[in-house]
Amino acid sequence: MRTTGSTTARLDSDRCLGLLLPISYSEILTMCVPSKTTSARSTRGDVDLIEWYFEQGWTDGLPVTPPTPERITEMVDALGGNPELLEVRIPPRWGNLTREVLAINLVLAGCRPSYAPVVRAALLAVSSSHFNLNGVQSTTHMAAPLLVINGPVRHAIGLNSGANVFGSGHRANATIGRAIRLVLLNVGGAWPGELDKSTIGHPGKYTFCIGENEEASPWAPYHVEQGYRTDDSTVFCIAAEGPHSVTNHVANDPEGVLDSIASAMSTIAHNNAVSSGSCAVVIGPEHAETIVSKQWTKSDVRNYLWEHTTNTYDEISFHGRYGTIYNRNLPDWYKRESGARIPVVPSPDNIHLFVAGGEVGRFSAFLPGWGHMTAPVIRSIDGHKTHSGRDCTDGTCEL
Amino acid sequence: MSGSQLPSGQIVYDPRGTVTTETQPSAERLVSLNGIRLGVLDNSKWNAGKLLRHTVSLLEREASLVVVHFYKKDSFSRPASPDLIDRITSETDAVVTAIGD
Repeated sequence: MRTTGSTTARLDSDRCLGLLLPISYSEILTMCVPSKTTSARSTRGDVDLIEWYFEQGWTDGLPVTPPTPERITEMVDALGGNPELLEVRIPPRWGNLTREVLAINLVLAGCRPSYAPVVRAALLAVSSSHFNLNGVQSTTHMAAPLLVINGPVRHAIGLNSGANVFGSGHRANATIGRAIRLVLLNVGGAWPGELDKSTIGHPGKYTFCIGENEEASPWAPYHVEQGYRTDDSTVFCIAAEGPHSVTNHVANDPEGVLDSIASAMSTIAHNNAVSSGSCAVVIGPEHAETIVSKQWTKSDVRNYLWEHTTNTYDEISFHGRYGTIYNRNLPDWYKRESGARIPVVPSPDNIHLFVAGGEVGRFSAFLPGWGHMTAPVIRSIDGHKTHSGRDCTDGTCEL
Repeated sequence: MSGSQLPSGQIVYDPRGTVTTETQPSAERLVSLNGIRLGVLDNSKWNAGKLLRHTVSLLEREASLVVVHFYKKDSFSRPASPDLIDRITSETDAVVTAIGD
């Protein structure tokens, strides 16, 4: 358990496995971890703080940057000062995320202070009731919050939206997503097997943050579609499975590219197929160029994908092999009869489209969502308002 | 700033934040199931209904229930709505619920 106060720790050493005691750190050193302590000390007698944070169980499994008063102060200042200010409570532990606690996690993750407003906005967004973070954190499903950043902040902080966009190599993508995860673990208590009950999980639970490649997109940026200005910066969040590759090296028309994406979407295995909700589609720049060569709009793309995903009632009901199945988690208006087409999501608007990735390569990606139990959200990073007329309670808009 | 000092003099920081709790009393326990109004709350999971129906049939064999009311949550992943909780509170003496994935 990690749902305790600052003087309580659970240790993984053989001698203290499972102990839950109010003890001081010096007692821990004496009683429980002499061998680790020996190896964790430098010749000057200092404790190796990276090992110390591992021993407390306060990391995601990777080494952290040990916070110092200077680093924390710098981070609190980037958040607007006032370290005691309670930003939000993070479920399922419902820990109090003050600015100082957020700053500590930002430093642990390796963030620059300039990333702090992005992480803050994302945490406020996923904490809105629409997103149902309590469910996302504790579900047996694998979903993790994916962040897609739009606007000038991408350039200001060096966020990757190009080649290998879901991959490694960029500090902003890596540590912003990691800071989110550390807060979800440390403050939200979503430790694997404890309050996070995910059976499989996915690598996005280390970091899951990309930028939209607005410069390579032939369409308006995602946040502009949602009523923000081009020079606003926003964070979009969806509880998503990992990206599934869509490869198509031959199509020279929109239909060919989109049929491949629709093929990736047309499976009974992902959570949209059994629980409805929303999903994300990331179109690579080359595919986007092919699609727009026939003047297709984003709306055309969403409508085509919605219309041509091909799950049927027979498939989602396993052809009657297990008796009559009436899936109560799909909309009531879906026909429950042989031959009926079952949409992957209820409406084209539930397909959230982005252009991202490198400018070379004919690839796109499909990311299923968690289901109707959550709604994607978008929030301004710099405090500007949307003109979309959407429900934007407390600054976060339900999509 | 809320750091702690190690014996070595180094400062460390707890990244978990505090938890604010509020003590709430439990409902009074029933001494018998005979003569009660039973509520059955289906959380809308795939197999929860089956488990609940079987549980109710067992309870009906063992106790003389006055009435059984059935309720359903809109989403298995979200809390029941305040209106639904109010209805259950006013119409029942005990509630059975289940998770059936």
